[in-house]
Amino acid sequence: MLGREFWSEEDLSPLTMASETHTDEQDLFRRLQDSSDDASLHFDIGLLLWNKQQEEKAAQHFILSAKLNPKNGESFKYLGHYYRLVSLDTQRALKCYQRAVTINPDDFDSGEPLCDLLDQQGKDTLEVAVCLEASQISPRAFWAFRRLGFLLVHQKKWSEAVQSLQHAIRGYPTCADLWEALGLAYQRLGRFTAAVKSYGRAIELDNKMVFALVESGNISLTLGQFKKGVEQFQQALEILPDCVPAQFGLALGLLSLANDCINLGAYQWGASLLEEASEVARESACSFRNISCIWKLHADIQLAYARCNPWIEEVQQLESNKEAFSASINSWRKTCFLAAGRAKFSYQRALHLSPWQANIYSDIAVTSDLITSLSRNYKQDLSARRQLAEKMSIGALLLEGHNYEFWVALGCLSDHNELNQHALIRGLQLNVSLAVAWGYLGKLYLKVDEKQLARQVFDRARSIDPGLALPWASMSAESYVSKESAPDEAFESCSRAVQIMPLAEFQIGLTKLALLSGHLASSQVFGAIQQAVQHSPHYPESHNLHGLVCEAQKDYKSAATFYRLARHAVSIGSESNQNSHIRDISINLARSLSKAGKAADALQECENLKKEGPLDEEGLQVYAFSLWQHGEYDLALSVAGSLASNLSSMKKASVASSICFISRLVYFICGLDAVISSIIKMPKELFQSSKVSFVMSAINALDGQNRLGLVVSSTRHFLKYQEEISRMQFLIALGKLVKNGSDCLDIRSGIAYLRKALHMFPNCNLMRNLLGYLLLFSEELNNGHVATRCCNMDNPDMSNQEGLKSAYDIHGAGAVACYSTGNNNPKFTFPTCAKKSSSHPRAIKSLQKCIHQKPWNHDARYLLVLNYLQKAREQRFPQHLCRTLNRLIQAALSNELYYKTELDYQYRHFQLLLCASEISLQCGNHTSCITDAKKASQLVLPDNYLFFAHLQLCRLYAMKDDHLNFQKEYARCLELRTDSHIGWICLKLMECQYKLEIDSNAIDSSFEECIKRDGNSWNMWMAVYNLVRGVNLLQKRDLVSAEEFVAHACSLAGFESCLFLCHGAICMELVRQHNSPHFLSRAIKSLTKVHELSLIPVPFASILLAQAEGSLGSKERWDRTLRLEWYNWSQEMRPAEVYFQMHLLARQLNVGLSFKSSTESSQSPHRWVIRAIHMNPSCMRYWRVLQKLME
Amino acid sequence: MKLGGIKSVDNAHDDSVWAVTWAPATATRPPLLLTGSLDETVRLWKSDDLILERTNTGHCLGVASVAAHPLGSIAASSSLDSFVRVFDVDSNATIATLEAPPSEVWQMRFDPKGAILAVAGGGSASINLWNTSTWELVATLSIPRVEGPKPSDKSASKKFVLSVAWSPDGKRLACGSMDGTISVFDAQRNKFLHHLEGHFMPVRSLVYSPYDPRLLFSASDDGNVHMYDAEGKALVGTMSGHASWVLCVDVSPDGAAIATGSSDRTVRLWDLNMRASVQTMSNHTDQVWGVAFRPPGGNDVRSGRLASVSDDKSISLYDYS
Repeated sequence: MLGREFWSEEDLSPLTMASETHTDEQDLFRRLQDSSDDASLHFDIGLLLWNKQQEEKAAQHFILSAKLNPKNGESFKYLGHYYRLVSLDTQRALKCYQRAVTINPDDFDSGEPLCDLLDQQGKDTLEVAVCLEASQISPRAFWAFRRLGFLLVHQKKWSEAVQSLQHAIRGYPTCADLWEALGLAYQRLGRFTAAVKSYGRAIELDNKMVFALVESGNISLTLGQFKKGVEQFQQALEILPDCVPAQFGLALGLLSLANDCINLGAYQWGASLLEEASEVARESACSFRNISCIWKLHADIQLAYARCNPWIEEVQQLESNKEAFSASINSWRKTCFLAAGRAKFSYQRALHLSPWQANIYSDIAVTSDLITSLSRNYKQDLSARRQLAEKMSIGALLLEGHNYEFWVALGCLSDHNELNQHALIRGLQLNVSLAVAWGYLGKLYLKVDEKQLARQVFDRARSIDPGLALPWASMSAESYVSKESAPDEAFESCSRAVQIMPLAEFQIGLTKLALLSGHLASSQVFGAIQQAVQHSPHYPESHNLHGLVCEAQKDYKSAATFYRLARHAVSIGSESNQNSHIRDISINLARSLSKAGKAADALQECENLKKEGPLDEEGLQVYAFSLWQHGEYDLALSVAGSLASNLSSMKKASVASSICFISRLVYFICGLDAVISSIIKMPKELFQSSKVSFVMSAINALDGQNRLGLVVSSTRHFLKYQEEISRMQFLIALGKLVKNGSDCLDIRSGIAYLRKALHMFPNCNLMRNLLGYLLLFSEELNNGHVATRCCNMDNPDMSNQEGLKSAYDIHGAGAVACYSTGNNNPKFTFPTCAKKSSSHPRAIKSLQKCIHQKPWNHDARYLLVLNYLQKAREQRFPQHLCRTLNRLIQAALSNELYYKTELDYQYRHFQLLLCASEISLQCGNHTSCITDAKKASQLVLPDNYLFFAHLQLCRLYAMKDDHLNFQKEYARCLELRTDSHIGWICLKLMECQYKLEIDSNAIDSSFEECIKRDGNSWNMWMAVYNLVRGVNLLQKRDLVSAEEFVAHACSLAGFESCLFLCHGAICMELVRQHNSPHFLSRAIKSLTKVHELSLIPVPFASILLAQAEGSLGSKERWDRTLRLEWYNWSQEMRPAEVYFQMHLLARQLNVGLSFKSSTESSQSPHRWVIRAIHMNPSCMRYWRVLQKLME
Repeated sequence: MKLGGIKSVDNAHDDSVWAVTWAPATATRPPLLLTGSLDETVRLWKSDDLILERTNTGHCLGVASVAAHPLGSIAASSSLDSFVRVFDVDSNATIATLEAPPSEVWQMRFDPKGAILAVAGGGSASINLWNTSTWELVATLSIPRVEGPKPSDKSASKKFVLSVAWSPDGKRLACGSMDGTISVFDAQRNKFLHHLEGHFMPVRSLVYSPYDPRLLFSASDDGNVHMYDAEGKALVGTMSGHASWVLCVDVSPDGAAIATGSSDRTVRLWDLNMRASVQTMSNHTDQVWGVAFRPPGGNDVRSGRLASVSDDKSISLYDYS
């Protein structure tokens, strides 16, 4: 009956139903007719009709279904839907939904509308109850948990909310709102990290969650992660540009970030952040003009800006232009002033909006105080402004009288000491552990000169909060004034204060203390004073101290600039004792100008000063010095004279420095005699200082007659410290060098003195290095090795003492000083200089270390080139070394240093050119070799050195067989002459090698003349020369005379094994040619000597000896000596002949049946020969022997 | 934060070790430690046991600097004779050889993207920038001379550039000189910006904070470590405590600490919040020429590592936590 009308075909036709559904429907109705009380059937039909939007009819079916089966929640749900949406009967809807939920608590579709309805009616408690019930019945009723969670959040029941929300999230893990709500709950519970995580998840799920972004930004700010907070706020603003909380948060975050920067001292950085923040805050405040806290924030930002805005200018441009300086200061001040003004206005707006907020009153008070201090006519409206500040702070107190911070504010801002004290004490009564209040109270007591009280109060403040800057600063100021403790202690406390709070006053104080305690060059002070200048550019003291710090860091030019600025600042300022300040600053200026080498400017300054009044001792010194610099010697002397006349009235410390200054000045202007006579005239009791002692000793050292001997010995009593004494010894040693008055240095006595002194001060590197240098300088045989041994390389001196030789230099130079080539690697050559052992490769490494430490050190680079050349020579100039060396030399040559005209640099240039030439020669590049050598020969140097350039050219032309040029260069060499023995020896060698028919007597006589000059090594050099002569004769096949020369050489230098080897070899050759037994015995004698003398086995000696002994018929000895030869060679260098000799020995064994197991027996003679052939297949002799052996 | 010694290799090289850096991890291997030494070799070490992976030879003088590409596949080493050798970390194949006059190559650094290799130009008072794909010199950033027309003096050698550093965003390039000044350049426009003052002795090492492109740390022979606001030209912090030259500085990947090595033979760890030295390691017996934090990445991301090298020929590895 019910569904009849619906069943017409027309009604169905517009519905887009599949024919199957059709049949389903028809089927359903058919079945309904069969069993009309089937609840589920009614429900199905209801659902069908509901879906076809025939709600009324559907509802009838649902009612029937519900009646028939009251346990079916679904039908109640749809009924609920019907009443709610169609018939708008809320009460019934509620009941139906309630029923549905009770039957099936998991039913989201009825739970949600139920709660919505309750919500609409404002029945919150009922809503909560429903959700609670559902959630308690079924843990899967996630909708209920969710609803409950939101409701609890709404009711601010945070901890319950967290539980519900967590449960709900299990059901809806991707619901961003739930995460957001959870985040909020956590945040309110103070669990910030959990909150941040939840918010983060919400943002991950939905990147438009502004609330989550803003709140996580707020949390970041709370946690002090300002940077992160700022980023989050920026993100939020990208989504929603007008979001006020985000704007507020962003501005606040930037302000906090800026505060961090300012606390570090990065004012410019802070200012730029504040500008950004101010922009954000201003925009926000202007679009929503009625939010008090935004105005307050804007004001806070402006106030911070007014405080931190740094004065940054290109000082060089302001230096000479007072007006520009003044304008720049004014514009800086104006910027700050305007910012403070803006702050004040914004505070007022904020106050206007919420006049009950007491802290804004106190903010205005602080701001007006700042404005007062910034305003130009400081004095005039001081009282009026002060009154304003005082009044406003009282206003704050009237609103919140129990707030101790306002009491402290009043205590600081009021102008009346009594009121201040009262306010601070009230503050302390409210909170006794208020360190700030204690601190200000202390400051107040200091102001009224109650030192005892002040100290007690400060101590209390410090013990409550050691992180408060003020007590530290006051303590240092106090200890500085009272001069009780060392300046170091005051400096320490002040530096702590500055570290805690970079206030300009503290920083200036720190610099002053640094001046007293000698910390002026420390970088902490440099940073502090730089920041102080940025904050108080109008204060002359800051510029002056900046100048002093620069001077301490040896930057005189900028120091002068800052002094000038300080002077401008004084003249702009309105302080009473202007003149005395200007005077002090001008003396500083003159001093730094003269130190910077600008004598004329310094002089100008001094003369200006002099016009205004008599100069004090420092002024006189600077004046005299700059006069001297400027070349006006007479005037300088007269100024020094007036300084001397003041001596008696000076303090002890300045007496010493004045005496030193006068003596030095007189020495430089008038010379030695004048200074000595003036010193003798001075009263002796003035000389009681170590400083004077050094100057006197230095002057006395220059004086050959020792006129100041008495004075010097009396002043030496004032040397106290070990270091001073050792330096004095160093000075005495230097004195010994110059004492004899002649042109050349008296090195021998210097060395002798240093040797003794070093015995007393074995730790003095200064002396060690000087001794090493002198030893190298003396050019004695073997001294090079002694020099390297006496210098200590383990603790290289880090200090940068210009002009003094370092241990590196000595080692590097010592390594190249040895004439004999040879190293400890017998792969390349046989070491002939036993003492040298392994110093050479070490020198190269230590020089590299030195270059690595001081890459600008050209001495080390130069020495490295020389050492490398030595190394290359030892290794017979391998390609890769030559290439490196070439690069090093070319780079060194391109250095502008070597184009200076000083002899020292010219000499190095010369040496480098010769090195370059040698390398080109070894690489076969003759042209560049000749150009380099020619370049070297054209340098302006003493003939003594130039000789070697021509010698090199000689070699080259001789190699190229260019006789004409050779003759020319050879003649030039003879003409130039040299002091160096080795030069003559080389020339002599060349003469015979290239078979020149020249009058060799010229060389002989020159050489003899040359070696006469130094006695000690005469024998050695003569021996070498004789050897060369012998070699020359050998070339001419005159063996007998050669033998004579070499024998002579042996007798002169009886310790040199090489000479004996040479002699032995010549004798053997004579024996072979002339068969005279006379020479045989000589040969044996010499060769045995070789054995005895040489520390390292010398090759050939044994083989020759064996031959000689064999010729005498002593087979046993022959055998033994020959065997030795095998071991004299290192494996890489054994020539074929040695293998061949071993074959002889092995054959001997075969015949003689020896049982000794030795090297030669390890292989058969025939194998030895094969090995010999393998080494040298071109020798027919070996082949023949092999053939014989094979037969 | 704290350092704990993990491993130390004595005689890791035959002579003084001068340079150290980490080659970041690649897909196929964990990070490697690269060291350069006076013995003319560069050695590669596997962390944490410091197993010698390979020894690269080929330099004619001591190796003064090593640098690794941010991707970890390429590295460069330079020696005192001013050859820069660029090589493949895994195969040791030479990729390029860059040549400059001796004394005109000192420290090197790749930019954060790896497109440019910046080489401190030593005596040339400049930084040379090399393109890392063509290996051609793309720019030379010269420090303008402060002194006016005074060609004499040793002014040329005064500005010897020792160290170079890239800001984490790659926009700024700073270099430290022998006279103590630090020069900041705009790396994108190749323009000199300004000097940072405060040191008065050579600045041997520079590093930017990984988080803040404004914060720059410098180590100098005057014994101080400075913290600069490199944009605002302000000295914002000094850390003193070393008894001698500070030779090297590196900042931890989390930006919370720096490590320094010094001629006083110690390695110090500094807490940047407290701005104080929190630990001193004195296991080296000679001056410490290099410290390097391991960059994040690879398998064990969490554990921080610090390596230090010294004149005593040894390498030390520490755990940083």
